[in-house]
Amino acid sequence: MRNIIYLQDVSKGYGRKVVLDGVSLAVPEGMVIGLLGTNGAGKTTLLKCLLGLLKVDAGKASILGEDPWHLSAAVKAGIGYVPQGYRPYPWLQAGRLIEYTASFYPQWNTALAAQLVKDWKLDLSVRVDTLSEGELQKLLIILALGHEPPLLVFDEPVASLDPVARREFLKTILDVVAERPCTVLFSTHITSDLERIADTVAVLRAGTIDFCGGIDVLKESVKRVRLYCPTGVLPDMGQEGVINSYVRGQQAILTVRDYSDARRESLEKTFGALVDVEDLNLEEIFLEMNR
Amino acid sequence: MDHNARLYFQISPASGVPIYRQIYDQVKIGIALGKFVAGEFLPSIRDVSKSLEVNPMTVSKAYSSLEKSGIIELVRGQGMRIPVKAEGITMPDRDQERLTLLIKEVINSAQQLSLDEASVVQKLRAIWEEDRHA
Repeated sequence: MRNIIYLQDVSKGYGRKVVLDGVSLAVPEGMVIGLLGTNGAGKTTLLKCLLGLLKVDAGKASILGEDPWHLSAAVKAGIGYVPQGYRPYPWLQAGRLIEYTASFYPQWNTALAAQLVKDWKLDLSVRVDTLSEGELQKLLIILALGHEPPLLVFDEPVASLDPVARREFLKTILDVVAERPCTVLFSTHITSDLERIADTVAVLRAGTIDFCGGIDVLKESVKRVRLYCPTGVLPDMGQEGVINSYVRGQQAILTVRDYSDARRESLEKTFGALVDVEDLNLEEIFLEMNR
Repeated sequence: MDHNARLYFQISPASGVPIYRQIYDQVKIGIALGKFVAGEFLPSIRDVSKSLEVNPMTVSKAYSSLEKSGIIELVRGQGMRIPVKAEGITMPDRDQERLTLLIKEVINSAQQLSLDEASVVQKLRAIWEEDRHA
């Protein structure tokens, strides 16, 4: 399978501040990948480097097979992008903006756009500058979907949407990926939405990708382990594969990144302890990773 | 056939258990509890994905691991079916499943009360003994 998105050792800073420090990421065709990171982790910078809106300082990047900094019109036509905090053409009515955008794309799907407007109950007569944040977000998503691009890039797509609209958005994306080959990359910090629609998660932390893989894999490998040693005091637990540890006397709580039954047995044997394992959801895993 | 997969599955994305695993467990337990009957077809991957609002890959992963474990079977062109002769899960297995389900509930409640494994096991033994002598 070819990689729709490929980053290798990409670095980017603003002045002296380093934001991306050797990011590598490969996104094959058809993947729905969520980019998770705290505020200021560099999610937006990463997306902008990828789309050629920022020039990388070092490293290699490619999107749909081309260098982001020199994208051809054909590749640009294959991308749907929803940026954050973008309010284009404030004087246009929403409906006029859709028509205007459609005029740039020969492959624009008028019926699809109309359907989305209907599903999302968007009032087309409202001027862009008077749309609420949530309404604007819906409009931008429609503009990104209308030309049915093979690659969708969303920067915090659901941040300003209410729960009803968020669900509507998830449904729309699931429909899109079910109906045609489409790769989706979106940044977020709403982990429950990510769990629903993404098959893969990339965690951006301290300027690099800390984890990239299946959400299932992450959930099955990162576990919280409670140890209780009836016979003595437990030693310091800062060992390989331990994300966080808290030891107090006979008890310890560890968060491990490579849980397995073998690991459990080894903990039981090494420390002569009773071991209890707790599943963590994505949000808890994310918090543990950022502690 | 208009399946609404929400009647079959209840998914909690915020749970620590991966979504594919939740579907897997619910089919398994559903068969054991008689919620799914032999010869019945499961809702299609697409239906499940749409009505539960989860990625189709996730549903597909659940179904293929169920198929690999022999719990369901693929009928070409028709979908996934609970085997007519549900070989994998015979009566004793069903009891096992029920027991697992009950114990899981106890474990969950115990964890909420921050009780450890040892004290739950101890209590179980104590009550068992009491019952026997009663």
